Amino acid sequence: MSIMEYNGGSVIAMVGKDCVAIASDLRLGNQALGIASDFEKIFPMTDRVYLGLPGLATDVTTLREQFRYRLNMYTIKEEREIEPETFAHLVSSTLYERRFGPYFIEPVMAGLQRLPNGGYKPFIAATDLIGCINFAKDFVVAGTASSKLFGVAEGLWEPDLEPEDLFETIAQTLLNAVDRDAYSGWGAVVHVITKDKAIKRVLKGRMD
Amino acid sequence: MEAISHAGSVLGVLAKDGVVLAAEKKVTGKLLDLSGAREGGYGGSGEKIFLLNSNVISGVAGITADANSLVNYARAAAQRHLFVYNEDIPVELLAQRLCDLKQGYTQYGGLRPFGVSLLYAGYDPHYQFQLYQSDPSGNYSGWKATCIGANNGTAQSLLKQEYKEDIGVEEAIGLVLRVMSKTMDSTTLGSEKLEFATMTLDATTKQPKAKIYKPAEIDALLAKHDLAKKDEDAEMRAT
Amino acid sequence: MDISFALTGKGYVIVAADTTAARSIVKMKTDEDKIKVLSPHLLMAFSGEPGDTLQFAEYVERNIRLYQIRNTYALRPPSAASWIRRSLADSLRSRRPYAVNLLIGGYDTSTSTPHLYWVDYLGTLSPVPFGAHGYGSYFGLSLLDRYHDPEATLEEGLDTLRRCIDEVSKRLVVSPGKYKVKIVDKDGVREIEL
Repeated sequence: MSIMEYNGGSVIAMVGKDCVAIASDLRLGNQALGIASDFEKIFPMTDRVYLGLPGLATDVTTLREQFRYRLNMYTIKEEREIEPETFAHLVSSTLYERRFGPYFIEPVMAGLQRLPNGGYKPFIAATDLIGCINFAKDFVVAGTASSKLFGVAEGLWEPDLEPEDLFETIAQTLLNAVDRDAYSGWGAVVHVITKDKAIKRVLKGRMD
Repeated sequence: MEAISHAGSVLGVLAKDGVVLAAEKKVTGKLLDLSGAREGGYGGSGEKIFLLNSNVISGVAGITADANSLVNYARAAAQRHLFVYNEDIPVELLAQRLCDLKQGYTQYGGLRPFGVSLLYAGYDPHYQFQLYQSDPSGNYSGWKATCIGANNGTAQSLLKQEYKEDIGVEEAIGLVLRVMSKTMDSTTLGSEKLEFATMTLDATTKQPKAKIYKPAEIDALLAKHDLAKKDEDAEMRAT
Repeated sequence: MDISFALTGKGYVIVAADTTAARSIVKMKTDEDKIKVLSPHLLMAFSGEPGDTLQFAEYVERNIRLYQIRNTYALRPPSAASWIRRSLADSLRSRRPYAVNLLIGGYDTSTSTPHLYWVDYLGTLSPVPFGAHGYGSYFGLSLLDRYHDPEATLEEGLDTLRRCIDEVSKRLVVSPGKYKVKIVDKDGVREIEL
């Protein structure tokens, strides 16, 4: 038994045309025993930056509270909201602080980076549990169903999807991948972020 | 204490469905660079009114440098409470945190106290809407309507006359503006001399909603209450 | 070996825990109280490593009480649960972590709502409509899935609890004999005989 599989759960993020999406399942388990079907692992950090935290559930809550604190202190000191790329480095350094006794979390981030010309560029990234960042151009996955998510996403994802098509792609990828994973599932939640708004949809899934 | 009695006054009124704060700005002039106030992550980048936490706004009177330091301390204290208890800090507890700090400087020698009085307007589920005042010694007290800074005696007696129990937030806004216009040194009110903020409950989410008015909104509000500065040039031209 | 159940209903939370204190295969005591009353509207059932359980429960009890003395009002259930969770999460990465599992049931008097939290020794916290710890969870949770109703009256809630306890008595090899049952609602905390 690995600590990373103790509670179960998976997260995926994808890039679209001027938009990004991030989605996760809703299961909280104690190994094979299901505890809750409403355990969210994705948290809005700002209006334009979302963070997914799959892994050990105690660390999901701890890190969520830790990042909220650090982000609010950043906002107070800088008098502006953080950009996704800066946030990725905040995540990375927070995890690396615990290099020799890590948080058992593999974070996934999705956001829209503000450009000097006033436009926005899609941004997604993931790190390992000690904070090594992987900047991806297409999609990133993490969690107990990551191997299955890779396979389905590789088949379904295509470049420059519009927000509605991106939603459909990420939702189908997640739902089908977690059906092959005993530790993920029990419903899902999808966030699609565009420059004007962020849409959250809660999906029903197989309850077995 | 001396600095505070000369500082721009800050006025607060507690209503049954909200709290209202208004403050008189002293540092003004068309050469003042206000570009920093236009954008800002935490709101309230003015001179007198600050957002301490999503559920507390404060107005400060006294030495500006000390006030900025206290505001920073309060914001950090509120974040620490959020971190430990996963809830917005209760208003009185935040006032206590600042007063503990302020009291410390009256007790230990070698350092001077913070020359700042504050008003705290906020909401928490324990006591709903609240208004507190604290002075440099670290004393604090809760009020239905109060004033700190220059002319606070005049303002308080005016408030005592005009305050009604069960006042609504709309009436409170009117009351604050009326009293403010009478206590301020200048004869006319305008956004360049005034800061204004309210704390209410969001109708849909039932969460506290702080609103620090932008200059244009303040002028609109003053016009609505017939207290706006008359554009004398325009009147001259009309005649 | 400890077994605890908790469930919410219309304006109340029921918390139940067995009363057996055992050492190895021997029952030492059958009237142990494993549910602490933390504040006028807050209950906590604790189970796990003997010694750790009582030590941690008293630590929590006194800190919650201290907050109430300092601020005149008690922490609301969500904040109390978050604080307790943080204590366990910090303890997990200390030299010797507490091995304590909790069910925290409370009634929030400012919003008039019942709250129940499932917390394990790692510091995992989840708000739940019903929860269980120990071997009881393998029997009780499926019954609660079938019979739990968040709008049930107190009597209906107690009937559901009886089903869980009866099932454990019937199917578990080493089932405990007696349970302590406490209820928290708008009037505060009280203990009842099942």
